[in-house]
Amino acid sequence: MSNIQFQQVTKDYSGGFTAVKNLSFEIASGELVFLAGHSGAGKSTLLKLIAGIEQPTSGTVLVNKQNLARLSRASLPYVRRHIGLIFQDHKILFDRSVYDNVALPLDIIGFDGREAKRRVLAALDKVGLAGKEKLNPVALSGGEQQRLCIARAVVHRPAILLADEPTANLDRDYANDILELFKSFHQVGVTIVISAHDESLMADYGRRILRLKNGQFTA
Amino acid sequence: MKHWFRLHTLALRQTLLGMLRHPLTSLLNLLVIAIAAALPLLLWLVLASLGGVAARMPVEPQLTLFLKNGHDIAATKTLEQDLARRAGMAKVRYVPRDEALKQLEAATGTGELLAGLGENPLPDAFVLTLHGTSAAPVEALQAEMAKHPLVDEVQLDSAWAQRLEKIVALGRSVFDVLAALLALSLLLITGNAIRMQILTRREEIEVARLIGATDAFIRRPFVHFAAVQGVLGGLLACGVVALLLARINPAVSELAQAYGQQFTLQLPDWRVILLVCAATMLLTLSGAWVAVWRHLRQWR
Repeated sequence: MSNIQFQQVTKDYSGGFTAVKNLSFEIASGELVFLAGHSGAGKSTLLKLIAGIEQPTSGTVLVNKQNLARLSRASLPYVRRHIGLIFQDHKILFDRSVYDNVALPLDIIGFDGREAKRRVLAALDKVGLAGKEKLNPVALSGGEQQRLCIARAVVHRPAILLADEPTANLDRDYANDILELFKSFHQVGVTIVISAHDESLMADYGRRILRLKNGQFTA
Repeated sequence: MKHWFRLHTLALRQTLLGMLRHPLTSLLNLLVIAIAAALPLLLWLVLASLGGVAARMPVEPQLTLFLKNGHDIAATKTLEQDLARRAGMAKVRYVPRDEALKQLEAATGTGELLAGLGENPLPDAFVLTLHGTSAAPVEALQAEMAKHPLVDEVQLDSAWAQRLEKIVALGRSVFDVLAALLALSLLLITGNAIRMQILTRREEIEVARLIGATDAFIRRPFVHFAAVQGVLGGLLACGVVALLLARINPAVSELAQAYGQQFTLQLPDWRVILLVCAATMLLTLSGAWVAVWRHLRQWR
């Protein structure tokens, strides 16, 4: 069963820039896939199309067999709750503690307090931020902020995890730690798409790599 | 249900904490709401109080014919019958001078009035009550009776009550316009305050949307904030008005006494307070709703 399916998907931005061109591919449920390519190759756009943040100009994006473009405005949030997003710019909220950042998806879904607390602490523990829940994210290093972002993306146990350049700006050891973390999520059956411009990191994992250039796949 | 309740308490807690975090801004916002609500409330209370006075007054036109001294009894009877037969006449009452004196003594509480005066200075009189409120027939009768040989003077008793009633009616239309304008301004004020809040919380809203927040989830804290501000602003408005009325009421009461009336402006009671808070809350809620809707509209 395929989890993510692109059928001849093209995305044009206003101004005539085409971010992805006529892409067709499938990602199976529970698969870990890397997305490689230089900046501006269309990696971020592809991830945004999967998350329903962007709508394709033409073609069809199916996630869990649902056509995101056909979903009503009201039902899109419920689809998003099955997706964990790790943003290139982290999108951490600095007006609240580390704990409250991670708790946000659970607040949105409506977990009760005790279960939410258990999950938040477990997620922080998983990414190696145990004991830092009361800190303001400003006090965290760049790598720790990346981990915080990952904890927030997995705390509600999504079926799909999309990571946009999670290893950018990290040194090699730190980047490998992060990729090991993704591997452990993959082992419990989460479908994962990770984008990166540095292909050398991916090679060690022996997974499928989708290479993008100017919005199209290359061999 | 439990989930819904939890989300609301969560949002309410955030709202109150947020207001405490910016006490000056919150207070200024509240004051703006309170002042906007206090003006129509004050006018409304003044109108309600004056309306009460007007209701106690005879609004049916009343004429008093003071008769010349030493008039003929038979001629008086003829006049009474003539008056009673006229169209639009509700009541014709003959008030002999002795009765008039007794009434005056009772009203002023001076039992020994006659003793001081030696002789009753009051004339005999007819008190005429007419149907209807139109002024023309009353004025015609007034003019006609002024020329009657038996009549010394004609007085239109209900004139000032009618005038008061007209003033109250005018005040009500002013109130309608003022209330509508200030309601609109409340709507805009809250809408703008919420818009500013949305701008400062842009990131949070964006992240929440990206990880699956519904419109209702995003709207909730703003709507709560607006509701709390509306209720507090309404309470503050009632407080301001009550304080103001308590301050001016002694003077109003003195003025009223000069016109022989027992009158003070009513303070807002619990029903008025409830109504004001409900009104301000409804307005601030609507303002917030529109502001959030406008912001959410930009996304699919």
